[in-house]
Amino acid sequence: MAYSEKVLDHYNNPRNVGSLDKADPNVGTGMVGAPECGDVMKLQVKVNPETGVIEDAKFKTFGCGSAIASSSLATEMLKGKTVDEALAIKNTELVNELSLPPVKIHCSVLAEDAIKAAIADYKKKQSVATPAAAPTLA
Amino acid sequence: MSHPCWQCGAFFNALFCDSCRAIQRPPDNYYELFGLPRQLALDEQDLERRFYALSRRLHPDLFTRRSEREKQFSTDATALLNDGYRVLRDPVRRAEYVLKQAGFPIGEQGTRDVPPDLLEEVFELNLALEELKGGDHSVEPTLHQARAHFESLLREIDQELAGAFRDYDATGEREVLARIRAILNRRKYISNLVNEVRVALQRAA
Repeated sequence: MAYSEKVLDHYNNPRNVGSLDKADPNVGTGMVGAPECGDVMKLQVKVNPETGVIEDAKFKTFGCGSAIASSSLATEMLKGKTVDEALAIKNTELVNELSLPPVKIHCSVLAEDAIKAAIADYKKKQSVATPAAAPTLA
Repeated sequence: MSHPCWQCGAFFNALFCDSCRAIQRPPDNYYELFGLPRQLALDEQDLERRFYALSRRLHPDLFTRRSEREKQFSTDATALLNDGYRVLRDPVRRAEYVLKQAGFPIGEQGTRDVPPDLLEEVFELNLALEELKGGDHSVEPTLHQARAHFESLLREIDQELAGAFRDYDATGEREVLARIRAILNRRKYISNLVNEVRVALQRAA
């Protein structure tokens, strides 16, 4: 099966490969995997806590070309979006943009899951870090 | 299970008519074909005996002078028997088969079935593999260790699977099937990794 031009482009020149400091309270990390193909994907976002805007996004994916392209494109889309806008990103957008064939749709689902997991991690860290959420119940 | 024989109308409950001995259309279920209850825990020696016994009775060579219909049934049954044996004798494929029959999609499940700790470990292992492929042999001891660890994990999973098989046979609950699917997903993930590490270490050697 041939990959589309866009998949090849992201595969050969992946954007935003790397990692952000996991311990940073403004960084959310999403780690997801697909048992059926053995793919594992780490996607991180760095959020400006003042504005709620994603300032940086990094990923590292071990998997097929479509999984790499999906996560690479996802990091591009994430930058400049607010956390809520990021949560609205659907895997179908990745499918359309990359012209993924039906057998590779699960790769885009994985990328969407990674976004959601990263944002959830960020939110969790924020709620713990906020003084208001400190355990006042005794 | 019994059906009327296509030839003489009498009822039979096996692959051959009780009355006229004609071979019947083979059932499309492996368990039924092997005359076994739908149990996940199987005695593999018993399975093998059944396989050879049925092979001898169903072999197309025995039907060369019979009707087209009987020839066809014999060919179909033999093909099914071979497929069925391949599936049933392997605990993982057997479980996948039973899950599929019960309407469980396998492999369509996303991230939820892989525990986060494991993902983390898998990710680290992939990083080490990448370094090895890049020519960094200093990661080899790490990889040997990881391989031993994942292989022992695999053995644990197989025991867990056997336990879940017994639970399912005792209760027949779908909940147990869901658990089995989660175990299978985990197993596949890890066995893929073990293979990858094996290949990478062989290449590096």
